[in-house]
Amino acid sequence: MKSVYPYPTLFGDIELDILSVTVDGAAEFPYSHVSRSERTVALHRSGRERWDYCTLRLRATLPDREIADGRWTDLACLATLTEKATNARTTTLLEASADGSWSGTIDLHRSRHVDRATLGLVVVATVDGVAGRVIGTTERDWYLDLKASTPVRQREIEIVEADFREGPDEWLRPYKDSPWIVETTGDVPTVHLNTGGVDGLVDLLGDSGGSPAERMLREMVAGQIAQDAWTAMFHTAISDLDVDEDGTPVMPTGWREAVLRMMLPDVLPGRQPVDALYDIAERRAKGFGWAELQTNIQYAAGKRSRITRKLTNAVRGLDVADRNGTR
Amino acid sequence: MDSAELAERLGYPTRAPISAWIAGRSEPRDEVKREIAVVFGNGTEAVSDRTGPIVSALPRRWHHRWAHPDGGREYGNAAAFAFDADLSVLAREATQNSLDERLDRATPVRVRYVLHELTGEHLDSFLDAMGWDELRPHYEAAAAGEQKVSRSLRAALRDLDEQRSLLLLRVEDHNAAGLTGPEYQDGRYAAVVRRQLDSHKQAGGRAGGSYGLGKATLWATSRLGLVVVNSTLSEPHEGHRERRLVARLDLPWHEVDGQAYAGPAWFGEPDPETAHEGVSRSWWADEDEARALHLERDGDAPGTSFLIVGAHDASGDAGTLQEMHDKLVRSLADGFWASMIGGRSAGPLLEASVTTLRNGRVVIAEEQVDAHAHHPALGRALQAYLDGETVDELTAGDQVVLAEVPLVVSPLKGHGRARDKGREHRAVLLLTAAADRDEKHSRVVCMRGNRMTITEQRPRELPLGTMPFQAVLLAGFATGREGDDVERAEAFLRASEPPEHDRWDRTEELTSLYERGALTRLKEFRSEIDKAVRNVVGRRAAARAGGPAVLRELLRLDAPGGAGGGGRRAQGFPVVRSVQARVEDGGAWNVTVGIRLPDGSDPWVLTPVAKFDVRSGGRPAVGWADLTASEACRVENGNLVVEPGVRNAVFTGVTDPATHPVQGTLARLVVDVQRARGGAV
Repeated sequence: MKSVYPYPTLFGDIELDILSVTVDGAAEFPYSHVSRSERTVALHRSGRERWDYCTLRLRATLPDREIADGRWTDLACLATLTEKATNARTTTLLEASADGSWSGTIDLHRSRHVDRATLGLVVVATVDGVAGRVIGTTERDWYLDLKASTPVRQREIEIVEADFREGPDEWLRPYKDSPWIVETTGDVPTVHLNTGGVDGLVDLLGDSGGSPAERMLREMVAGQIAQDAWTAMFHTAISDLDVDEDGTPVMPTGWREAVLRMMLPDVLPGRQPVDALYDIAERRAKGFGWAELQTNIQYAAGKRSRITRKLTNAVRGLDVADRNGTR
Repeated sequence: MDSAELAERLGYPTRAPISAWIAGRSEPRDEVKREIAVVFGNGTEAVSDRTGPIVSALPRRWHHRWAHPDGGREYGNAAAFAFDADLSVLAREATQNSLDERLDRATPVRVRYVLHELTGEHLDSFLDAMGWDELRPHYEAAAAGEQKVSRSLRAALRDLDEQRSLLLLRVEDHNAAGLTGPEYQDGRYAAVVRRQLDSHKQAGGRAGGSYGLGKATLWATSRLGLVVVNSTLSEPHEGHRERRLVARLDLPWHEVDGQAYAGPAWFGEPDPETAHEGVSRSWWADEDEARALHLERDGDAPGTSFLIVGAHDASGDAGTLQEMHDKLVRSLADGFWASMIGGRSAGPLLEASVTTLRNGRVVIAEEQVDAHAHHPALGRALQAYLDGETVDELTAGDQVVLAEVPLVVSPLKGHGRARDKGREHRAVLLLTAAADRDEKHSRVVCMRGNRMTITEQRPRELPLGTMPFQAVLLAGFATGREGDDVERAEAFLRASEPPEHDRWDRTEELTSLYERGALTRLKEFRSEIDKAVRNVVGRRAAARAGGPAVLRELLRLDAPGGAGGGGRRAQGFPVVRSVQARVEDGGAWNVTVGIRLPDGSDPWVLTPVAKFDVRSGGRPAVGWADLTASEACRVENGNLVVEPGVRNAVFTGVTDPATHPVQGTLARLVVDVQRARGGAV
């Protein structure tokens, strides 16, 4: 889906760089927490849990020649720091420096953000007599992760090991007989592995190597957990969607988007993701076709969990073990 | 007039006194000087002060070395084949030689490359000054052979005759030693003009080269094998400093008029000494003569100009003047960016520029090679070191980290005590974040001597996701430090380089000069470099538990087919590929939309949808006033029908301004194609 502007916008690249990070106006942050290739800053640092704000030194480069030739006036370059979860939005104006780049600083206040802030650049100018129009933004925004200690853009699903029966988490008690549960209510989906459920199962999962039988079991269990997780995540992702005026759902953000983009082509093949979402939302609301959809979801989750390949390997392994008489 | 004639005019029985005067061994009495002045028709000042312009009366001529009496033949100069005849190799070798001969240690050596194309009368007068008529028979004979060199000579002569143009490349240095020393005995002059494989480097062990091969690239770059030299000397020779001219020609063995010639030939004045009867030697030219040979030098700073006659780029990359000019600039920047950077603790060692002329007129103005423009991040790293502004840990993207890397220098054979591992030299590693436009990054540029790049190595076992960086390793004299260990490390590393000076590895010199274990020391050095880089950039391994790997693998959110799958992969559904839009005067949007479709067996029935884009919440849809099929589709009941097998289609739509919630000019528009929803729209 492409959006078009009713006035000329910048075509060239707009680059934004974080030069340094200072915490509470004093301590410099190690640059290894800033990843330019991942466009991510990991703001969590063991040893300093409490801090109030950090200052980011920024430098931006705009397509100078295009700006000089274009009919934009009163050009300004704004850095914006946002987080959807808290609806926080901070902006600062960058100053043009002599070498053609734009630079400035922006403060990230700890109290305004919970998880992951997004830093982008907006270039605004007066076009055709209308002031303050956006003529360009950064293609790829920076992520400022408050909880990560390594700057990685892609987030993984959390996997937590806990004793459901005797662990500190009261809410896990009711599931004490289950070897694992999948939780999709939080910011990040979490798989809880029950160390007190099936004796040795979690250890087996965590190992690598072992006898052929152990390896086989490990693969099968992992596939089964993954299938549960994908199914649960998909259901969570398609619930509670925003809709446009004409009833078309809006693609959610974050992990929900990633899950949907990965699974929708298998759930409803040949459909655009948004189109497929519309169909699913309708089936869910009106009831018809909802049951049929379950088959497809189960199929898509199985595919992501590579169930078929794991089973093939397991059967082959059995066959080999049979012939060698090791079973 | 030659020395014998002059002797006769002055009434000497032999020409010996005249020869002795020319050679600077004796000084004539004042009355004799006056007589000489009368003979030549100029003032006595010129005769008594031989540093002033004196017109040498002897004619310039070519001297071809006779063939070896034992019948041996050389079909070319083997040293010239040691390198690729590539302009970048020439720039590297010639500039390195200039750097090694830097005279005043406080100021940089200035290197200029001047490309000059001659045609028409300019060409004729140049060839005339070179004694071309005398040379031509030798070229013809040498080109007649069937050897490799003969074939390329033949092509060069044919091109000269057909195109009537000749490319000269002048390589000049200023603030260098110049070709000092006697005509035939040891010295810089003889090493370059008379000898092969003579590395007459006197730079106190700091020199880059050591084989004496580099100068052969000058001759290798000339299609005619011809190089003319003009040198301003740092120490007077025979009482002169300026404009010592000589030309050397490298031809294969050939025969002219029944006389066999070995190949090499020299252009100069005949040597008056009987020991060198008939040999052409360098002469002290006047300004007009230097200008006629396109060898004039600006100012009187010592140094040498080499004029490569018939220059070309044998790699074939650069054909036109502009391409050759650009290639020279790039090669100089790539090879010597480090030498061109100066800081508070040490100035730049080198300044370089490239100019291009045609028939004496400037085509591309003098371009100073700017190291910072070509290698911003590497330049910053070295600059910070020279300015003493390095840090211990990176906290900002433009900082430079300094780390020390130990190199253990093996003892020389016969000098070490038993079980002596050697002296430790602490090399300097500088590291900074790569600039965005650096094509090559995450490598360590290793240099020694006068900041000569030896090798680039990629550190091994870097953790994934390491930030892109640029690093420089300075070893030996390149560290800018003094001391015994510095000198030893320099000599050790130089001994471990092959003639190309492009790696530190096993060489004959290394194994014959140093105690056993030298190669292991080099390997250890390399791993120490890797370790130092890892310490600076490597992130600590992720501390998170993360759960079993087998499960994490299955639960990745960035797996193939995910959001980051990229647009090139064939999609299983129709997608909007391009939108061209404008707002009409009435406020309606006019859009031309290209869509891409997957293969299918049924026709696609699609509903084009236009919406105003908003920052959050639901997007208002706008209606169409008109839909027109433009390419490979048709419009039915407001839907778009595309036949199976069609991969690309285009339609045009105009929105209905009455359905716009705001003015068309004040909103962004998104266009999408959805599968038709049976009468819903």
